[in-house]
Amino acid sequence: MAHAPQSVLIVDRSSETCEVLQTVLERRGVHTLSAARTETGLQLARQHHPDLIVLDLDTFDAPEQVVDQVADLSHQARYQPRMVLLGSLRGWQGRRPEGEFVSKPYHYGPLIRRIEELLGHYQETPGRADVVRDSRDRPGQPL
Amino acid sequence: MPTLFVIRGTDQGSRFELTEPNIRVGRDASNTLQLHDNEVSRHHAEIRRVENDYTISDLNSSNGTFVNGQRVRQHDLQSGDQLQLGSTLMLYTGPAEESREDLARIVHIGQPSDGSRIVHSVSQAEGSQIFDFGQTSSPRNSWLARARSNLQVMYRTALAVSHTLEIDQLLQRIMELIFEWVEADRGCIMLMDAATKTLKPKVWRTRQDVKTDQRITISQTILDYVVGRNEGVLTSDAGQDDRWNPTGSIVQMGVREAICVPMQGRYDVVGVIYIDTSTPAQQVVAQGGATKFTEDHLKLMIAIGHQAALAVEDTRYYSAMVQAERLAAIGQTIATLSHHIKNILQGIRGGSYLIDMGLKEHDEDVTRKGWSIVERNQNRISALVLDMLTFSKEREPDLALADLNDVVADVVELTRARAAEMSVDVVWQPGQPMPKLVFDSEGIHRAVLNIATNAVDAVTDRPTPGRVEVSTQYAESEGLARIIVADNGPGIPPDQMEHLFSPFVSTKKSRGTGLGLPVSQKILQEHGGRILVESKPDQGCRFLLELPATLTQEPPDPAASQTIANEPE
Repeated sequence: MAHAPQSVLIVDRSSETCEVLQTVLERRGVHTLSAARTETGLQLARQHHPDLIVLDLDTFDAPEQVVDQVADLSHQARYQPRMVLLGSLRGWQGRRPEGEFVSKPYHYGPLIRRIEELLGHYQETPGRADVVRDSRDRPGQPL
Repeated sequence: MPTLFVIRGTDQGSRFELTEPNIRVGRDASNTLQLHDNEVSRHHAEIRRVENDYTISDLNSSNGTFVNGQRVRQHDLQSGDQLQLGSTLMLYTGPAEESREDLARIVHIGQPSDGSRIVHSVSQAEGSQIFDFGQTSSPRNSWLARARSNLQVMYRTALAVSHTLEIDQLLQRIMELIFEWVEADRGCIMLMDAATKTLKPKVWRTRQDVKTDQRITISQTILDYVVGRNEGVLTSDAGQDDRWNPTGSIVQMGVREAICVPMQGRYDVVGVIYIDTSTPAQQVVAQGGATKFTEDHLKLMIAIGHQAALAVEDTRYYSAMVQAERLAAIGQTIATLSHHIKNILQGIRGGSYLIDMGLKEHDEDVTRKGWSIVERNQNRISALVLDMLTFSKEREPDLALADLNDVVADVVELTRARAAEMSVDVVWQPGQPMPKLVFDSEGIHRAVLNIATNAVDAVTDRPTPGRVEVSTQYAESEGLARIIVADNGPGIPPDQMEHLFSPFVSTKKSRGTGLGLPVSQKILQEHGGRILVESKPDQGCRFLLELPATLTQEPPDPAASQTIANEPE
């Protein structure tokens, strides 16, 4: 099934996470952007309006502020990106943010499949046997 | 911050900060303060803040609420109060009283030239001789002699109990002192078991010339009386002492003289001290009816018992506090290491995923990319394990002639690879000349790498471009080699300077293990060197690693080592 090119912004201090997600998503026809810093991430979001933003909560000293900034940005630019938040909400200050939560350490297979689902790419195929879901580490499962 | 510190019970070692105005205490998980004690009611008591003080109220609990041993319905708490709920004993510490006065204005330390002069001085050792009656003239009357003697006993008891933090050792010393001052044949100290409320023997002793194979049987009658009435007793002739029933155990055992005193602590009897002598009656008659134990002995024993009880309580509090600190440290260590290991595991999973995908799709580039990630994370876990090993055990540096510039250059190369990802510039200025020096090249590599990595992290995410300068110097006249790592980051906050080299304390929050700097410090100290730190807010930080410049292989002098964390300028 053909899809219009979609884009994902990955904001994660870990270059390895960015590298893995970008490698896999690019091979599946998704345009990716990555940033290791908050400012760069917000700047890229403003410029490119990605369809989905993957935010690693551990990357930021105050992740609540970053989530709020992304929400403000969406409001100003009148576009609503989907969010996947990597990490834990333990100690979260303020209102629970909207988005998909994936606890760490996560498996990449389920995470990538969830990203694709959110982008509308994913279809069950026999070739996707590498996707392993378990109750503890299940993308889309709120923490 | 007002606190409740559990000194006895299932939650021993736990510290609860009273941050909320109303605190419910009980066994149920819904309580603000949950106690895991079956003798505590589900909703046992409530602690309420009234202005700056706290009041405890019992919530009709089954076993009651006790403050300082007294059952209470409601009680205004004072710092130092002991709260007992079920079998849990807690120490309440109230809020610190704010000083209303500027103490520096009231207490002033004068200048050396303030006109004071020393008229006479006495050393501490000399002053203590006031209790050593062997070196002073004998007192003229017996009352004064007894008073001085008792004072000496109490002084020595106080000294004995202040020198140990092990309860068994403490009790052993007390027993030895008692035998020094009282002519007892056998003695025993028993402590009250908090759970069973029964006395358990902890220390026993017999006089040297008394047969030790004889079992010490201590009269339950005496123990019950002493603990129940909180009174010391002296019995010199059990058969004529009308406090005891002739059928009681004292008479049956034929104990001639016994002293048993309570160990009265601040609020409770924590145990008893028992001594006896089995001198036959005929021998007592031959001595003119004089008994070994007198009322003075009893009074002295009561005083010793009280001192010992206070020391036992203090030792228990101290042990509980040490346990609490230890648990907190273990918790922090596990949390920090787990987080770090979790990140490494995440990296390995990512790499493995790419390898798997590359193999399935026959894409060598993807496989290689995945392998590179796995390898990087293998190095990270190796580094972490090495840091832990370096920190956790004493070791001798593996000294050999090496080129310091080569070692630091390798660190710079490794750091640059990482810094490039963060858009941080790393400048390397090797000092010249730099003779070959004797040092543990692997250790110094690790020490410098930890500091350089910190520097890169410090300048990342800054509004100004990050820059780290690494340089070396050889100061021949001072016999030193220096490695300098400077950055233009935010600097180290003054309040963090004190804990800079404390293990598992990281300013990098979730990104740091808190082991880097302590490990670097340890390595430098093993070389007889030190680390100096200068920090300027918003301007950056400068770490100076000083290494004794040894040109030939000689063992280092660890005694000369020290590390100074300078205050920020």
